[in-house]
Amino acid sequence: MLEQLQSTFPILSCLLFFPLAGAAVLWLFDDEDMVRTSALTISLVELALAIFVLVRFVPDSAAMQFVEQVRWIPALGISYHLAVDGISVLFVGLTAFLTVLVVIYSWDTIRHQTKLYMMSLLALETTTMGVFVSLDLILFFVFWELMLIPSYFLIKLWGGGAERHYAALKYVLYTLLGSVFMLVGIALLDINYHSYAALHHLDTSYSFDLLELLAVPIPLNQQILIFWLMFLGFAFKAPVFPFHTWLPDALLEGPIGMAVVLAGLKLGTFGFIRFSIPLLPEASKSPTVVSVVMVLGLAAIVYGAIMALIQPDFRRLLAYSSVSHLGFVVVGLFALNYQGLQGSLLTMINLGFSTAGLFFIAGFLYTRQQTTQMAAFGGMAKYTPLLATFFLLIGLASIGLPGTNGFVGEFLILLGTFKAHWLYGAIAVTGVITGAAYFLWYYERAMLGPVGKAVRESIGDLHLREMVIALSLSIMILWIGLYPAPFLHMMNGSVQALVDRLDRGTVATVDTERQEAGGQGQEEKDRQAGDSAAGAVPLAARPLPLAVN
Amino acid sequence: MTFSLTMSPSDLLLLLPEILLTCWLCVVLIVDFSFPRLPKEQLAYLSIAGLVGTLGCLAWFDISGISGTLFANMFVVDRMALFFKMFVVGATILVILASMEFVHRFKFFRGEYYFLVVMSALGMMFMASANDLLSVFVTLEFSTFGFYVLVSYLREDVASNEAGLKFFILGVFAAGLLAYGISLVYGETGKLVFSDMKSAQATPGLIIGFLLIFGALGFKIGAVPFHSWIPDTYHGSPTPVTAFLSIAPKGAAFAILLRMFFVALATFKPTWVLLLVAASILSMTYGNIVAIAQKNIKRLLAYSGIAQVGNVLIGLAAGTKMGNDAILFYLLTYLFANLGAFAIVIAVSQAIGSEEIDDYSGLGRRSPFLAFSMLIFLLSLAGVPPLAGFIGKLYIFVAAIKEGLYTLITVGLINIVISMYYYLIVVKKMYITEPHDPSPLAVSGPMKAVVYIGLAGTLIIGVYPQPVIDWVVAATMMFSDLAGPAAALPTVPPVVSSGG
Repeated sequence: MLEQLQSTFPILSCLLFFPLAGAAVLWLFDDEDMVRTSALTISLVELALAIFVLVRFVPDSAAMQFVEQVRWIPALGISYHLAVDGISVLFVGLTAFLTVLVVIYSWDTIRHQTKLYMMSLLALETTTMGVFVSLDLILFFVFWELMLIPSYFLIKLWGGGAERHYAALKYVLYTLLGSVFMLVGIALLDINYHSYAALHHLDTSYSFDLLELLAVPIPLNQQILIFWLMFLGFAFKAPVFPFHTWLPDALLEGPIGMAVVLAGLKLGTFGFIRFSIPLLPEASKSPTVVSVVMVLGLAAIVYGAIMALIQPDFRRLLAYSSVSHLGFVVVGLFALNYQGLQGSLLTMINLGFSTAGLFFIAGFLYTRQQTTQMAAFGGMAKYTPLLATFFLLIGLASIGLPGTNGFVGEFLILLGTFKAHWLYGAIAVTGVITGAAYFLWYYERAMLGPVGKAVRESIGDLHLREMVIALSLSIMILWIGLYPAPFLHMMNGSVQALVDRLDRGTVATVDTERQEAGGQGQEEKDRQAGDSAAGAVPLAARPLPLAVN
Repeated sequence: MTFSLTMSPSDLLLLLPEILLTCWLCVVLIVDFSFPRLPKEQLAYLSIAGLVGTLGCLAWFDISGISGTLFANMFVVDRMALFFKMFVVGATILVILASMEFVHRFKFFRGEYYFLVVMSALGMMFMASANDLLSVFVTLEFSTFGFYVLVSYLREDVASNEAGLKFFILGVFAAGLLAYGISLVYGETGKLVFSDMKSAQATPGLIIGFLLIFGALGFKIGAVPFHSWIPDTYHGSPTPVTAFLSIAPKGAAFAILLRMFFVALATFKPTWVLLLVAASILSMTYGNIVAIAQKNIKRLLAYSGIAQVGNVLIGLAAGTKMGNDAILFYLLTYLFANLGAFAIVIAVSQAIGSEEIDDYSGLGRRSPFLAFSMLIFLLSLAGVPPLAGFIGKLYIFVAAIKEGLYTLITVGLINIVISMYYYLIVVKKMYITEPHDPSPLAVSGPMKAVVYIGLAGTLIIGVYPQPVIDWVVAATMMFSDLAGPAAALPTVPPVVSSGG
């Protein structure tokens, strides 16, 4: 059982509901400028809260921190349980960061119903935050589903493409289809807990709480069933090949702001590392599961890269490159070793800067030419040197050039994958090469070479707001690229705990727990663990298997 | 069988809510006749006052734990009966509030309308207490009687007349089935009271008899294959009557179904579970698929209602105490979301005179309040968290998964996705499509009250369902013997032993 560190102030609840409250306040304003300024203020305050959490977070610890727990629906074992650990804490920061940038980007690019747009965006922030900080599976599911509502409206009302209605509906129905299967998986976990609790006379008869579910053994055949049910939910959302078909549509037809959130925050793969792997370690290790998921991941890498190579539209290219990158993440996760998991986690964060950054660049291009089709560009660097520079920097990060953040993550993933099986690693490497090819090829055609027919001299370089976006992304890219240690330290403890969990499995974990507990009830012990850690005592730093710098 | 007709005051006490409402009903009728110039709104408020009094009386019974049986076990008052009575009375209050404006469309007998609504409610209160086959028949017909008139209340309207005729003919047919079924069961067992039938043998006559009774009740709740009257009747009836018909009789009929299956037929559980699984799968699938093609919002809600009943039947098929808790809970969430949605249909049809989904275009601009409320109600019906409908669906699914009904669950889940599709069509019309006529809509006060109550119920039960769960768990205590064996014998494969 993981230790829990409580905080005296419900910072995570604030983090969670502040944007929603902000959205409600926006409703009161009528003036468009007032709406924009308030939205920016709200998102900045939210970012400040997130940074506070990141700073106060105890690194190198597997403990759940800033824990808040209230019984919500005891009859069904549902609780309001929030916490962050090394796996989720960086996503909290990333969500707040990207929302600020999206608000800045939308300043003058959203021209109608600005108020509703900003409200949807802030509501979306609350729901994504909720996905990252919930430890109760039903609470998690609530936010997971709620995400769809603002997303639906964002794509549908502010999308640029003609097919946006179709794209919005497709997105909602696909995700919903996946998540109903996930709900069954979650319910099965609950039932399993129930039968265990009945046999061992635990206090609670039902529970959806991640930490309580972790303490209960699950038979292998059940684990595999639950794994596939949850897999469907996460795979549709991620999206993992071949469940990806909604992604290019949603990214192309929806507004840039939505694309940034969809492509930047890897909710589906987060689900794997947060719930599937720790809850179902034996299933995750079983050869069939590993090989099927690995094959899907590798297929995604290759398929996404090849599809990206032939796209004439930059946003479609980015969508397929997203599929390819997600393949990397999945492969790294199911290498099931320390480097693979750590690399995948870091890559998920990195993509939040690089892929999301490229979508911002696509937005800048779109603002200038009203399209992202290849034909509208050519030799842009001549008139827009700053745009071209940032485009190159963010793009290189996305293909993993050393010195940028992409390199660290991809390198760790490949290391882990080679450790798992050389063949997996070998196939994954081809994705890196193709990735460089499709990006550089597009960049060369769009930015360099002879000036395209459609490109006018008066096209205009980045203005102040765009500079702020590009610059802040570049800073993060170089920071993680050159000095990743703080970020890795934050995640190390939890990744190590996850690796231990994978080694020991559910049954063994319970055995040791019972010996340690020395006859006390499981519940009792948890409570004590929570209490003793209430003073937020930093845990001994774990040895880092991978030397960092 | 001899009935003792001596009644003590304590027996009368058990009947107090019904007696109260009957007296009040007479008062409403007398006032209507004596003061023909009295505005009919006053009659509505008068009826509501009586219903609120009854509700208070029921709540008092529930809190102080008054229970017992009357008339040689024909009439039972227990917490489940009280739950369904409050359910019916609550629904009736909301329906009357929602009718107040609509009533002006009736050319004649506006006062009698309220009388008939309250009389049907009284019938359904008796249904909730029916404990033997005779009282099932009498109360069922009593409550339907009012509806026969109400459905065809728009006398000038052909659709309403057609609805009335269809409902009447099929209703009488169902009554015939019921009477025939009861006669078979009585012939086989010589018993009428549910609790006396526990030891009955499964003879062919008994099985056919119960199948016929199930058919008649299936007609009441509108489960496939007894649903054929629903679309036309819902479509043609005055909309408040449709709203009433879509919720209150279902609740009362489920009270009877619960008693019949779990008290009289408890020993045949393995057999009737299959029957219910089939009815549930058919209802959900048929209702949801046909709903997609609907152009009229009332028809859409009619088919979605068929599908929702399929969901409730999942809980019944689970055949456990938890399943029954889930049924009660689900019906309550359905009450708020469904009546709320119908209230908006009434408000819109009052304002623009149309019930076509096409005419909901741009409702988001014309009346943000109505559109937002409709969004909430539809999402709750679809089961989107954190609204009440989600908790209801979750409750039902957990109960069914616990019993290993995986086929049923799979079908149910696929149906959720299908239902999301047509609910979203309405949402799209309201928010995305440009309005044909952008003028704002006016909403009357009582209508707003209904919508607010619906919203409050949907949101509060969704966010904080615990008190309601406690209530339904207590209401089904009579089935607690079902929970006993289910909890002791884990139904999922036993977990891997952890050593010791």
